Amino acid sequence: MANLNGRWRRENTYDAIVVGSGISGGWAAKELTQKGLKTLVLERGPMVRHLEDYPTATMDPWEAKYPQGKLPPEELKGHYPVQMRTGYAVTEYTKHFFVRDDENPYTEESRFDWIRGYHVGGRSLTWGRQTYRHSPIDFEANARDGVAVDWPIRYADLAPWYDYVERFIGVSGQNEGLAHLPDGQFQPPMEMNCVEKAFKSRAESRFPDRRITMGRAAHLTEPTEEQLSLGRSKCQHRNMCSRGCPFGAYFSSNSATLVAAERTSNLRMRPNSIVTSLIFDPAAGKASGVRVLDAETGEESEYYAKVIFLCASALNSAGIMLNSTSDRFPNGFGNGSDQLGRNVMDHHLNVGARAQVEGFDDKYYSGRRPNGIYVPRFRNLGDEGSARKDYMRGFGYQGGASRPSWNRDLGGEGFGAERKTALTQPGPWTMALGGFGEILPYADNRITLNHDVKDKYGQPTLKIKVSIRENEIAMRRDMKASAVELLEAAGFKNVQGADLGYAPGLGIHEMGTARMGRDPRTSVLNAHNQVHECTNVYVTDGAAMTSASCVNPSLTYMALTARACDHAVKAGKKGEL
Amino acid sequence: MWGVALTMGIASAGMAGPVAAAMQPLAWAPTALTPDQARLVDVVAELIMPATDTPGARQVGVPQFIDRALATYCDKAQAKLLRDGLTRMDADARSANGAIFVNLTAPQQIELLTRYDQEAAALRKQSPLAPPPHFFSALKELVTVGYFTSEPGATVALRYDPVPGAYHGCVPLSEIGRAWAT
Repeated sequence: MANLNGRWRRENTYDAIVVGSGISGGWAAKELTQKGLKTLVLERGPMVRHLEDYPTATMDPWEAKYPQGKLPPEELKGHYPVQMRTGYAVTEYTKHFFVRDDENPYTEESRFDWIRGYHVGGRSLTWGRQTYRHSPIDFEANARDGVAVDWPIRYADLAPWYDYVERFIGVSGQNEGLAHLPDGQFQPPMEMNCVEKAFKSRAESRFPDRRITMGRAAHLTEPTEEQLSLGRSKCQHRNMCSRGCPFGAYFSSNSATLVAAERTSNLRMRPNSIVTSLIFDPAAGKASGVRVLDAETGEESEYYAKVIFLCASALNSAGIMLNSTSDRFPNGFGNGSDQLGRNVMDHHLNVGARAQVEGFDDKYYSGRRPNGIYVPRFRNLGDEGSARKDYMRGFGYQGGASRPSWNRDLGGEGFGAERKTALTQPGPWTMALGGFGEILPYADNRITLNHDVKDKYGQPTLKIKVSIRENEIAMRRDMKASAVELLEAAGFKNVQGADLGYAPGLGIHEMGTARMGRDPRTSVLNAHNQVHECTNVYVTDGAAMTSASCVNPSLTYMALTARACDHAVKAGKKGEL
Repeated sequence: MWGVALTMGIASAGMAGPVAAAMQPLAWAPTALTPDQARLVDVVAELIMPATDTPGARQVGVPQFIDRALATYCDKAQAKLLRDGLTRMDADARSANGAIFVNLTAPQQIELLTRYDQEAAALRKQSPLAPPPHFFSALKELVTVGYFTSEPGATVALRYDPVPGAYHGCVPLSEIGRAWAT
């Protein structure tokens, strides 16, 4: 950067820089631009424009290039050996929203399924859209259990921000009055089908301490004026969400936050811009900007701002910080605690039960509901009745009932007219429950920089070593047994519990790599998501999480981001940044 | 609505069964299959998913679908499984009845397919979680997928609604009538 001149520096200077444009970065972009800050959003991947860059969104089945839109095995193995581990995510319809693993290497010291997409909008385009608040007991959990460090905030600190975010994104759901799954600002819930309704009434009467509710999902069922004005509309129940929604009916950065940000005229979006490190200014004791590598040209440049939001996803935000070394931060940016890159968490899943359901053969449904039912956590809630001796924390179930269609037992017995006619009728009802369990923060579940393996830009890559321990393994036994118990309580038949195995990452909820805490000696971020040791840098994605809860985390990232933006703008006005 | 797919199978439409169909030249040019294999696939697909009150495999373009899958989708192992299966069908037909499969009578053809189906069922019974591959299961799977993801398969044999609008969770099956295509 020797030829850096004043004019160039001025042109590359903004009020704020946001790194990443996924669910957290989109929120930072919206909040900062709406509060009047000239904001540069740096996204490492290509542009994805709402509607026009959803090339497969309205394809009919017969337009598929491949059988059922599945990618050829050779393409999967060659380009998506990690992304294919979910078994469902990468298809002809969605592959442009996932990374090619052969171009984005990392080193698995233990198996870690790092499922991700590098493009404007990030995983907000392909997320599961389940939307739950962390509860008071989640924020108190570490302090109560003596695990890791205490959250520096409590539920009450975040509650108004949950309200704020829910009103903007639109969440359909049912208020239940549960302390451990707080109610929210909901649009009308989607409907349970006949079997789910029967399951709810039978299971709840057998287990009065358990609740069956409709999944809370970021889909519009009764759009507000604000949502309509952004061009969003009501969910049409196509259930083709991860192709991008032509109705803007589920929340994504592309359909909502980035649209709102763009309308302020304060947004500059720069795709294909890989942030390699933060620039630390020792004289000022602050970060002055970021170093950027252009993914298309390989050109290096620098951008400057008063405040920087890292929203590049848990592993990549921590990776950028680890790669930002200086005399002040020889072990990574703001890493005086040595906690940067540690405490990787996810939600463990792939365990539960399924059953066959009799007595509803004359019933069916219409529409494809992009949502299921939810069984909120019912273990270790603080009372004696729910306490477990064999593990701490808890799990929830996501599930649902359905009738398989023609694609049941594809290679199965029979051929000819009889089989054909049978397949044109729906198959027998089945119901399944799948657990999502909390993983504790373990200091040695960590990522480190790997200078021996460089990516195609010559940048160091990540080494990942994460495993679940006794607590999670004991919880999984209960997750399976309790799912069986619930389905049996409903009188369903042929109930089969299964633990199909879990590899860290498969929950696609990576978090914890730059945790919030009260003490700079044991945490990376403070109560406002500022780096303790450099307060004009905020980290508001999954990296910030001090514990994982068992609920889907995106809503909490969004609420933390909105709250941190509010703090940053106020602090900036007071001259504190 | 399904005019395009209908015309794709025009050469055999209205013909009375597999023998007659096999006599006709193919109305399409296979890319991965040989012409003889394509004729065989054409006949077997129709036996697996025959025309009933709804169109059959031939009429909706399943043979072309399988040719395309072999050309662009299947890996080497699966392509070999399918091709070897087709070769075997003609060999079995010759040794049992002295003619290639497409020239057998319908009962003879069904007898052979029944044998293959039983072989495949036995393999599944042996190891239900990961049965060894059998060409007839693989072929049947492709025919079934090709059929129900075709426009007539989805919209006539099944019910298809690209934009349902509402979700109704509890509807009498009689009001819907058939399984949903998606």
